[in-house]
Amino acid sequence: MLLFRGNDWLKSLSSEEKQKVTDQWMAWFRRLTDEGKAIAGNPLEREGKVVSGKNRVVSDGPFAESKEAIGGYFLLDVASFDDAVAIARECPGLPYGVQVEVRPVAAECPVASQLKHEAQLASA
Amino acid sequence: MLLYRSDEWYNKLSQEELQKLINQNKAWFEKLTSQGKAKPGRALERTAVTISGKNGRFVTDGPFAESKEAVGGYLVLDVETIEEAIAIAQSSPGLAYGGAIEIRPVAEECPLDIRARELAREEQLVNI
Repeated sequence: MLLFRGNDWLKSLSSEEKQKVTDQWMAWFRRLTDEGKAIAGNPLEREGKVVSGKNRVVSDGPFAESKEAIGGYFLLDVASFDDAVAIARECPGLPYGVQVEVRPVAAECPVASQLKHEAQLASA
Repeated sequence: MLLYRSDEWYNKLSQEELQKLINQNKAWFEKLTSQGKAKPGRALERTAVTISGKNGRFVTDGPFAESKEAVGGYLVLDVETIEEAIAIAQSSPGLAYGGAIEIRPVAEECPLDIRARELAREEQLVNI
């Protein structure tokens, strides 16, 4: 999975530059989909909410103008992590400061894996 | 879309607590999918690299799992309103142990397009 981080970079662009990046981004996603390498992808609205803690408190955030905020994602279908990294390096937003996080999708919930590992240790 | 944040909270749990939580999570998720409110969600491996810079020339490790910004997994919902998504997030079993969930509407249109249109409109106004 590719997570696109940062959404303050847009501000410094002219409208032509923005149009250019948008067109490049759309063409990139279309090509990856046609090649069967991307199976899903979406931009996310800039505003959201965060629910946290025992009391399930709802707060605003994350704040839109942050380097860490996630602006969108692609779910890829590739054979190796290196393939995903190679695709991430093609991201049209990179020259403008976008950061692309590359994360393997887990076959199993890591909490469950950890539990199995602990059980193995305990029985050893 | 629900994004699960700061995923190392479960390290504090005992084996029984963990097993209980896993069962609760599974039941929670099965209920949501059977109601048609959630599409298949996935956990993400804890390893990550981040690509940045022109032509993607910087490849760095991270973000690391302990960080507040790290995403541990995601769930795409199919609901009508953000309130409904918030209610679903609030019913997540993991919250009781200190996790946090970010709720983000999936955009109808790419925010890049919207911003490009706004700028074009502003330029038109200036030229009048």
